[in-house]
Amino acid sequence: MAGFLATVDFSNPYFPVLILLVIALAMAVGFVLLSQALGPKRYDRIKYGVYECGVDPLTPAAVRVSVKFYLLAILFILFDLEVTFLYPWAVLFRSLGIFGFIEMAVFVGILLVGLIYAWKKGALEWQ
Amino acid sequence: MFLGNLASLRYFLPEFAVTATILLLVMLHVVTKSPKSTASGLLSLLGVGAAILLAGVTPAGAGRSIFEGMVAHDGFAVFFKVLTSLATLVVIFMSMDSRDLAGRSQAEYYIFLLSTLLGMFLLSSATDIVMLYLALELVSIPSYLLAGYLKGQEHSTEAAMKYVVYGATASGVMIYGFSILFGLTGSTQIAEIGRSVAAGKATLPMLLAAVMVAVGFGYKIAAVPFHMWSPDVYEGAPTPATAFFSIGPKAAGFAVLVRFYYTVFAAADPGTGLWRLTSAVDWPFLFAALSALTMTVGNLVAIKQDNVKRLLAYSSIAHAGYMLMGFVLLSSAGIEAILFYLVVYLFMNLGAFYVVVLVSNATLGEEISDFTGLGSRAPFAAVALAIFLFALTGIPPFSGFIGKVYLFAEVIHRGVYWLAVVAALNSVVSLYYYARIVRAMFLQEPKDASAIPVPAISGAMLALLAAPTLILGVYWEPVARIAADSVRMLVF
Repeated sequence: MAGFLATVDFSNPYFPVLILLVIALAMAVGFVLLSQALGPKRYDRIKYGVYECGVDPLTPAAVRVSVKFYLLAILFILFDLEVTFLYPWAVLFRSLGIFGFIEMAVFVGILLVGLIYAWKKGALEWQ
Repeated sequence: MFLGNLASLRYFLPEFAVTATILLLVMLHVVTKSPKSTASGLLSLLGVGAAILLAGVTPAGAGRSIFEGMVAHDGFAVFFKVLTSLATLVVIFMSMDSRDLAGRSQAEYYIFLLSTLLGMFLLSSATDIVMLYLALELVSIPSYLLAGYLKGQEHSTEAAMKYVVYGATASGVMIYGFSILFGLTGSTQIAEIGRSVAAGKATLPMLLAAVMVAVGFGYKIAAVPFHMWSPDVYEGAPTPATAFFSIGPKAAGFAVLVRFYYTVFAAADPGTGLWRLTSAVDWPFLFAALSALTMTVGNLVAIKQDNVKRLLAYSSIAHAGYMLMGFVLLSSAGIEAILFYLVVYLFMNLGAFYVVVLVSNATLGEEISDFTGLGSRAPFAAVALAIFLFALTGIPPFSGFIGKVYLFAEVIHRGVYWLAVVAALNSVVSLYYYARIVRAMFLQEPKDASAIPVPAISGAMLALLAAPTLILGVYWEPVARIAADSVRMLVF
């Protein structure tokens, strides 16, 4: 052990990181193992039941979720990103000139086709 | 040295054609009242046809690096663009014929198909790891949608789900490998990374990166042990989409595999047609082991299959194994053999799937038992399928034999005898399961002997696919020359 320690370079600037890593690993693994070993184990019907804020479960937990929310969220991200690209373009608009204008027109045009498609498919209606 | 964005546009015409077609398909779908019509299929045919023409009329010459080094325009890329477009063209015909898609809205299907094609174009020409990753995802994500296109069918949904989970894991591991490469070399250009690899010593992290990247590419070409998704996906996806997966993304996967490993971890010896390793990372041995494993597992498991789509899935795994042999040899002739084999494989494999589509249209099934007596029920389709299956086995005088001759000859020439022995044994095994279908078609009596109608257009397509399978078995010189030219023009 002493021979091994002699080979370790304690002055290395990354040495504290190694210590942190070891401690973090030890804590994470340690607490999982400790709660396994020390925690009381009582398995009964209530323990296996679905937890619903302490109240008895009212409905089955596996229900069908409408995808409308995700559709809207994806559309939002899409056009949010479009705006992210538009900002730097608008700042540099003069120096980019006509080439930049055409390029952005193509980009926005492609997204516009997508918007029309989503609209016609009824993705924007909540019913 | 790199062409700027504006100057690059004139070398990007096939991609423009495909992009424009995708946008037109979306608009067509929005304005037309009957989304189930064949209009979208015909429009896609036009678009892909235009892409092939445009790829043909912009010859690469010595090759050039376009879009500030993001993408290469060289003979290698043009070869794969034409190859994948041809595959897509046949698959569009197949889709218009298939009962799987009849009665469903088709516009989205073709949009996904063409998006995948665009991804394959970029994947076969990407020379920057960021571009490469984007292209790989552009191939993968529409593929998931294609696999799950039969909404409401359990098999199809399961296929898409498995495909997504496997694909996400594989590309996650791959991009981790990319990040290690970037961390070691400080560049995203694969040529630049290659120069750093040749100069550097960090062997262990390099090996790690090489293996992690192999996971992503291995998943794309369905090499063992990254093949587990493919049988379920092939079985559950609509049959034309299955045919597409078995050749399109696989060919693009081989393109990126060759370009990446031969650029990053090897350097060409000018004049000899050979490559040498630039680091201690012995990836050829790794891939030689994968190759042997892939063909053996593919062939042995195929023996037990009763569903023809699953059988063809395992057969396609085995063929990826054969093609990997050419990849590990570090020689131009080895890559040539892969390119030639891909052309041959395109025709014979799509042909086999075409007959599966026709038979399942009539019998509503894809089991081998649904093929019994096909010799009397639809003689033309049965003979065509027999030709395709014997070509897949690699029996002379069919094209598959010549493809295998090129691969085996180069393996023996480079002295990797054990791999040649494994591959030869595997070819013998494969005869058993291919012949099982042929036996069912010609030697067994069908329960229902009514004739299966083969529409004229389908018959013509079968003939068009069977003709190269026969002709390339006796006169293959021009295709071999094209393959050789396409290797010589790789830009590094």
